[in-house]
Amino acid sequence: MNQVNNFDKRISDEIHARTVQDIRGMKDEIWNGLEKELFSDERLKRGVRRDMNKRKRVLPIIITIASGILIVFSLQTSTGTAVMKGIKEMFVPEKEIIQNIEGMDEETDVQLNEGTDAEYVLYIDETRYKLINGESEDIITTIDPLPEGYPEVTMEIKQVLDTQPDVLVKNIESVLKQDFPELREIEEVIEPVRGFQLHGAAGNEAKSKIVNAYVISNGKDGSFVITQYYFLEAAEGHGARFHHMLESFEIVE
Amino acid sequence: MDKNEWLLKIRFGDKEAFHHFYEAYVEYAIRTATAITRSREMAKDAVQETFIRVFRQIESYNPDYPFDPWFYRILTNECMRLLKKNSSSSKFIHADIENNPGIAEESLDGLSDLYDVIQSLEDAIRIPLILKYVKGFTEKEIAEVLELNQNTVKTRLFKGRKLLRNQLFPSREEDESSE
Repeated sequence: MNQVNNFDKRISDEIHARTVQDIRGMKDEIWNGLEKELFSDERLKRGVRRDMNKRKRVLPIIITIASGILIVFSLQTSTGTAVMKGIKEMFVPEKEIIQNIEGMDEETDVQLNEGTDAEYVLYIDETRYKLINGESEDIITTIDPLPEGYPEVTMEIKQVLDTQPDVLVKNIESVLKQDFPELREIEEVIEPVRGFQLHGAAGNEAKSKIVNAYVISNGKDGSFVITQYYFLEAAEGHGARFHHMLESFEIVE
Repeated sequence: MDKNEWLLKIRFGDKEAFHHFYEAYVEYAIRTATAITRSREMAKDAVQETFIRVFRQIESYNPDYPFDPWFYRILTNECMRLLKKNSSSSKFIHADIENNPGIAEESLDGLSDLYDVIQSLEDAIRIPLILKYVKGFTEKEIAEVLELNQNTVKTRLFKGRKLLRNQLFPSREEDESSE
C-alpha cells in the first residue's frame, strides 16, 4: 500500500513540477484579458452587460411530451429548489455544432442562452450574436453593427399567450404583406421548428430585405412568433446561422 | 466571502466576487490546462475562455451539484477544442482504447521521464490521469467532467497507472487492489 501511495505521489509531484512554471505571469495575462472582455467601458457601451435585475432562477424538472416540446415543472422543497440531473445534462453550457454556411460545413461553438423569464432556451454563437431580453420580445442581433446602408439582421422572439398558431399566423401574414407584398403562402414546416412559416423578399437586389417568420405552439393556448430579418445576400450566411440557432430552440415552462 | 457567495454575486456581474473566484481557481486551472494542451499559449486561451464562459453562463450552473466538475468540464472541453483546432496529434478516442491497450504502449519506447510518458499516452487515458493527479478528482467526479461512465473512467485510470508503473518499475509487480 505504501508503494502505491508513493507511486501516486510521484506522479502528482512530477506533473506539479512540470505545470507550475510561470503561473504568476499567466495569471496576470489572463486576468488582463478577462477585464478587457468582461468589464471594459467598451463592452458596457456596446450594451453587452449582465442583466443586473436577473430573476432568481428556479431550477426545474423536465418531462418530454410526445410533441417534442419540453414541459418543465418546478417544485419547491424545503431547501427551495428541486432538480433532476437531466436538466444539467440536457442543457450543457456550450457545445460544438456543424452548420453549413455559404455552402461549406463549419464547426462552431455555441453557448446556451435563455429567453425572458426562462421561457425558452437556444444556443447562440456568442462571437457573432447577442440575445437582448426585452419586455415584450427578445431580439438576437449581430454583436457588431452592420455597415451603413445594410438592412437590419435580427431575429425577434415573442410569445402570444392567447392565440393559437393557426389563427395567429394569418394575422401576421396580413401585417407582413404590407412590407413584403410578394410574401409566399403560409407553409406548414417541421424544421427548424414545427409550425407555420412565412417567407418573403422585398426585391431581388443583394440588399433587398428578407423576412422569415415562424409561428409555433407554446405548448398551451398560445404561440411563439419568431421573426427573422436579413437581406438577400446574407441568406446563406446570417440566414443559415439563424436557421441553425432555431434548431436548438427549446420551450421551457 | 465563500464560494457560494461569490457564485451568487457573479450572477449579478459583481467584479470583485469574480476576482475572488478567479484567484481561487486560476492556478489549478492553468496547471490542468497546461498538462492537457502541452502548450502555454493554448492553456492560457483555454483558461481565459473558461472564466469568460463561467461569468456569462453562471445561470446554467445547477447549485445543487458540485461546482468543480462543472467548471472543469468547461475547461476540459475548451482544451480539447483548442487541441483539435490546432491539429494536435492526439485524439480523444473512446472506442479503440478499450480494445487496443497496446496503442499507448507503442509510443513509450525511449521515454524515461515520467511526465513525458504521461504526455505520450492517448488522451482517453492521459486526461483522466491529469484530472486525478493535478486536481485530485475522484473517479465519480472525473466521470462527471468527461461525461463518461464511472466504470469507464476506472478502467482508463487503471490502464494508465499500469502503463506508467511498467515504465518506472519494469521488473516489479505491484498490488493493483488499492483503488
